Amino acid sequence: MAEAGRRVLVVSTDPAHSLGDALARRLGPRPARVPTRAGRLDAVELDADRALARWLARRRPALRLIAERGTYLDDEDLEALFRLSLPGVDELVGLVELARLSRAGHYDHVVVDTAPTGHTLRLLAMPETVQRIAGVLDHMYAKHRFLAERLGGQYRPDASDAVIAEMEREGRDLQVRLRDPRRATFDWVLLPELLAVAEAKDGVRQLDRWSMAVREVLVNRVLPPAPDGCALCAARRRGEQTAIRAIRRTFPGRALRFLPALPREPRGVPALRAFARALAAPSRGAALVRPHPADRRQRAAATPRPPAGPPAWLPVVAPPGVRLVLFAGKGGVGKTTCAAAAALALAEAAPERRVLLLSTDPAHSLGDALGTPLGDEAAPLAGAPPGLRARELDAEREFRRRRERYRTAVDELFDTVRGGSAFDAAFDRAVVQDLIELAPPGLDELVAVLSVTEALLGRDGQPPAYDTVVVDTAPTGHTVRLLALPAAGLAWVRTLLAILLKYRRVMRPGRLAEDLVALSRELRQLDRLLHDRRATRVVAVTRPGELPRRETRRLLDRLQQLGLPVAAVIVNTVPPPGLPACRRCRAAGREARAEADRAVGRGRVVLLAPMVAPPPRGVRALGHFARTWAAASAGGAPAPRRPAARRSRRPGAARGSARVVGPE
Amino acid sequence: MIILDTLLIGGLRFVLGKIATAVESEMEDDSALREELLAAQMRLELGEISEAEYAELERSLLNRISEIRSRTRGPTPKPGTFKVTGVEATFAGEQPPDEEAEAGPRRR
Repeated sequence: MAEAGRRVLVVSTDPAHSLGDALARRLGPRPARVPTRAGRLDAVELDADRALARWLARRRPALRLIAERGTYLDDEDLEALFRLSLPGVDELVGLVELARLSRAGHYDHVVVDTAPTGHTLRLLAMPETVQRIAGVLDHMYAKHRFLAERLGGQYRPDASDAVIAEMEREGRDLQVRLRDPRRATFDWVLLPELLAVAEAKDGVRQLDRWSMAVREVLVNRVLPPAPDGCALCAARRRGEQTAIRAIRRTFPGRALRFLPALPREPRGVPALRAFARALAAPSRGAALVRPHPADRRQRAAATPRPPAGPPAWLPVVAPPGVRLVLFAGKGGVGKTTCAAAAALALAEAAPERRVLLLSTDPAHSLGDALGTPLGDEAAPLAGAPPGLRARELDAEREFRRRRERYRTAVDELFDTVRGGSAFDAAFDRAVVQDLIELAPPGLDELVAVLSVTEALLGRDGQPPAYDTVVVDTAPTGHTVRLLALPAAGLAWVRTLLAILLKYRRVMRPGRLAEDLVALSRELRQLDRLLHDRRATRVVAVTRPGELPRRETRRLLDRLQQLGLPVAAVIVNTVPPPGLPACRRCRAAGREARAEADRAVGRGRVVLLAPMVAPPPRGVRALGHFARTWAAASAGGAPAPRRPAARRSRRPGAARGSARVVGPE
Repeated sequence: MIILDTLLIGGLRFVLGKIATAVESEMEDDSALREELLAAQMRLELGEISEAEYAELERSLLNRISEIRSRTRGPTPKPGTFKVTGVEATFAGEQPPDEEAEAGPRRR
């Protein structure tokens, strides 16, 4: 667009940014010029925390005033509350910041690279949340207005009213703009895989429901017909054709466009320019999906049958006594498939162990991967060991369930303000109930943490229902957010406890305090568990390729910063060696092994999971798949056997933990 | 000034109400002690007191709670001075059903 002479801003709102990797330049929260032949192109990677801080800095006095006049809280309490970090700020701030950036730079177009499905849908629902927050603040301030009117006769709106009005207006504007097809269009990008089709179906349906215009569905990384008559590529092509037929059925009458899988991912401006030509081709890539004689080629040699019995990698990923195994990684690398396969292997190897396979990605794929519908109730799987249960967490439902409990606890709290001015308490009660009504930003991560806690530590004095929880997380950015949440949540709980303690002579802390004390204990336990390398294992899943490699490296660094034990890196979809394969497959295989070498060289355990065409679906296929993962080793040395004695002796030792399980 | 009156009277009533509750709770039941216990738990979570201090506090509070419990049950009645007048539903939650008939008259 920029080279057609327009002024364009491209923004990434995914907390795990890849935009800079794609453009091959360092990007930050300030627009950076990208050199183009014509027009103007600026690029930004949003920093939500910074954006929120900037937004708050200017409005802080007004917001403070609202809180001060609208509640019982004093300076000290408010200071403590304002210091807390918001866990789910990315979605909340993302859109508002987008609006600000596009206003500031006089752009003709703003192109947004969003986070993966689940959180993008959350982002698009935010204008309503902004309006509702404005509503809560308005409620808070109503007390002041009421008093001022009664005492002074006439109320004149002040700076605080202006902030409330601004938020209300901004929320409404965004809502209108997103629904106006002349001002906002959506392009849905997906891979030619059945899991992605199911996710896209739900996502596009949701956008339709919100009357947001999905202009085009882009099917990316479609394999061109196999060169050298490669059997593996032919099988993959057939799998993709099945998915593409499903896409055509799912989106009848919608514009589809097919983009080729390039031998090398388009990185940097020249490569992206070439890719853009394919993007603009009037044929919409139709030739790419036309059946080709090479597609019929059958596999010459069957893949060797994997050995029976528990896979050799199991003690690395899920050693005896492990309680929490988290699968993390970029979208589309096969996290769900790997998590499901690992949970099955674990349950088979230890039938007495009660294992919960939990998907916390708001755009669930777990049921699709297992080939069986799943819901919010943990359910056994046909054909799987009886100790295994699977659940797709419904964050909103779970939140509603917990909200009821807090609502009654808050009611009790206000009932204990006896003999006081009924008028004051009525206002405060309304404000607090409003706050509880408001689903917090970062809801998915919050509820995920609470659910994992409940599954592993029990609740209300009940013993825990599971020995081990295997989590299929949302893609990178939100996994990191999830893992940082127990600490952030603890800060919130403690601040609230301190406030309740302070006012306990006026209001009986009661059940709310009891719940908060329990929550505080649970979060502490969970935080301890997360940093205990005997109890918690994080597995990073990636695939051969430049962008996933870079994102994975950042993920591993971040995990190390958070002091979380990384068990292994799984490089997924590696063309198996030894098969007669084409240039493309051999190159991908070489790249995967080179990458594995580097990681192993850094002391990490790397598992290579083979490319399977079509991808493994269902309990049987996944169980089989899990047994085909093999440890990669540096320079052809034997696969690393992880000696138990090499495990860290100090469970709390956080830094450098990824190194400990590596080979000598 | 109607508003001032309401505020003043409201405030006064508030204070009186609070005193009444405080007296009431310390005299008649253990709820004040239970609140102390909860407050101690809150302090422990906040790191204001140590585990040892908490254990100490908890023990003394639990002792006082059980003391109050035995006191509110009142002195044991002399045998033979009561006759069974009936079983009251109010006791259902406190004792197993088979003790009700015996427990009923104790508080008369």
